[in-house]
Amino acid sequence: MLESRQIREIKTVLVVDDQEVNRDVLGAILEDDYHVLYAENGAEAIERIREYMNTLSIVLLDLYMPVMNGFEVLERMKEDDMMSRIPVIVLTSEKTAELKALQMGASDFITKPLDMHEVILARVGRIIELSEGKKLISAAEHDRLTGLYTKNFFFEYAERILRVVKDSTYDAVVVNIQQFHMINELKGRKFGDQVLCAVAQEIREFLNRTGGIASRLEADRFYIFCEHQEDYGALLSRLEQSANSQGEGTVIRLRMGVNVFQEGDTAVLMFDHARTACNLSRGDFQTPLVFYDDELRNREILHQKLLYGLEAALEEGQFQVYYQPKYNIQTDPPRLVSAEALVRWKHPELGMVSPGEFIPLFERKGVISEVDNYVWQIAAKDVRKWREQYGSALPVSVNLSRTDMFDTTLPARLNRLILNNGLNYSDIKLEVTETAYTDDADHVLEVISGLRGQGFEIEMDDFGSGYSSLNMLSEMPIDVLKMDMKFVRNIEMSETDFRLVKLIIDIAKYLRLKVVAEGVETEGQLSLLKNAGCDLVQGYYFSRPVPADEFKEMIRTDLALERK
Amino acid sequence: MTLQELYREIGGDYEQALQVLRVDKLLDKHIRKLPKNGVVEGLLSAGETKDPKTLFEAAHAVKGLCANLGLTELSKNASEIADEFREGSTRKLSDAEVSERIDRIRILYRKAADGIARYEAQ
Repeated sequence: MLESRQIREIKTVLVVDDQEVNRDVLGAILEDDYHVLYAENGAEAIERIREYMNTLSIVLLDLYMPVMNGFEVLERMKEDDMMSRIPVIVLTSEKTAELKALQMGASDFITKPLDMHEVILARVGRIIELSEGKKLISAAEHDRLTGLYTKNFFFEYAERILRVVKDSTYDAVVVNIQQFHMINELKGRKFGDQVLCAVAQEIREFLNRTGGIASRLEADRFYIFCEHQEDYGALLSRLEQSANSQGEGTVIRLRMGVNVFQEGDTAVLMFDHARTACNLSRGDFQTPLVFYDDELRNREILHQKLLYGLEAALEEGQFQVYYQPKYNIQTDPPRLVSAEALVRWKHPELGMVSPGEFIPLFERKGVISEVDNYVWQIAAKDVRKWREQYGSALPVSVNLSRTDMFDTTLPARLNRLILNNGLNYSDIKLEVTETAYTDDADHVLEVISGLRGQGFEIEMDDFGSGYSSLNMLSEMPIDVLKMDMKFVRNIEMSETDFRLVKLIIDIAKYLRLKVVAEGVETEGQLSLLKNAGCDLVQGYYFSRPVPADEFKEMIRTDLALERK
Repeated sequence: MTLQELYREIGGDYEQALQVLRVDKLLDKHIRKLPKNGVVEGLLSAGETKDPKTLFEAAHAVKGLCANLGLTELSKNASEIADEFREGSTRKLSDAEVSERIDRIRILYRKAADGIARYEAQ
């Protein structure tokens, strides 16, 4: 059987004493169990310690020696980060020296004469064991790369500080290196590590002045828990400076979120909020420092309410589908040709909630598909109803979110939508936002082609709001281009904007795409668009989004035009 | 002359020495080295200078070495000198009393060195 003794390596002990008799005695005591090294004075001891730094388990140190005495050895060891981790037992017969040595960092002492061999052996073993235990804890306690605390220890200590030190106010600070994975990719992992270490070192220096603790989490995120500070701009720029001092060729940007302690906060909560603040400055180079303030707090509470309320909203029909008509402006008078289905939320407590608030939130949290699905169902039923009532169906376009693009059941779901409601594929048009195309172009292209193959018409929504290129337009299997409203907004005032709109319309025509202009509000805009050859228009000029009942009236009015 | 006989002759505590060094062989090695060691001579010459720091360090070294070798009387006298000149402690002995102890050490040491020389010679 394998015994633990066999796998345990032989440990190394350094005996430092100017008297040969002491070296011999300690050698005789220790040599059966340890690999024993010797030094005759302090200077020699320091040399040995440096030489065996990584393998030395303990130093037995005489205090009174020529050349360099034991106190000086203790002093030197204490100053050195690595040497200070090696435990020391002092050899002495001086009571006052024992105390002084312990105060200087010695772990224990052995009194001379060295007549209690078994006690000495046991004491050496015990101190090595203790120090190894301490090292194990220390390894779990500290991040290997930066030496900052690991997550669990950090939060444990932060909670302890909050519990114990009641007379100070504390701040939770989260620092993040922007695009750190890109730094690693472009300049290599080693460089990335250097940047992390430089930031950690600057944080340590900050904490030396202010007091506090720090941790590194999730590769490039630093948490700092410190006494309340008024100015964090200085810290942020110092951290950025040291991150950028590691080499030329890349500009490293940091962002920072700060949360000041409030009564009842726990450390975890404080850092949740600081992180929210930090994330808010993501991608925004203008405001890299964000405080978690009342506004943010209220928004978070609102978001919690919205997320929490989603299920009930779906069950109780709190979501309402509004329709914004699209008019063909090339006819005279313009005719209603379709509508976009838009969701509204009548929250029992908050009242009407802006889709600008809950849609991006649900998208981020990956639950938007449930809302989309709900809207599709209502829209499909309404389309069916109108056909039954008025004989002709008016197609409605619905929005597909980015998450829908990655849902493998999407084609089947849309298929069922058409079949279960007795519709044609041309009755429901699908709007896909431009940014979805840029996320994972190949995948989106495949999904869109599939849907188009099923018979759906695809509209590219918000064209011009993101970073899509004209080049992409020719590759994307789409039928309609919806120009983002920011293009239309200034066409009356700005010649350049108008030319741009004209250009987009011309290109779309060339590619045989229909163009919808969004956000049309004035007669002037309308006539410019009409002259530029734009087919369809959507906007307040004709109508804001309206409930189904009101939209029904619009259909009726439009049909009356036909009969004239 | 056996080691035990040597110790009896020079007034040492053989049992205590063996307690530290455990085997005769090691005791033999170190008792033979005592006259060449120089620590006791160091203390004797420190006695001439009367420099407290030198006296303390020299006495301390003699105290430790002799305690290990079971030379209890030598160790005891050296210990008293070390106590006397330890940094921060107040003097209890007169200069004459210190000299008396230095003299005693000189006599004890000569006796030990003579004995050891005879022990080595056989």
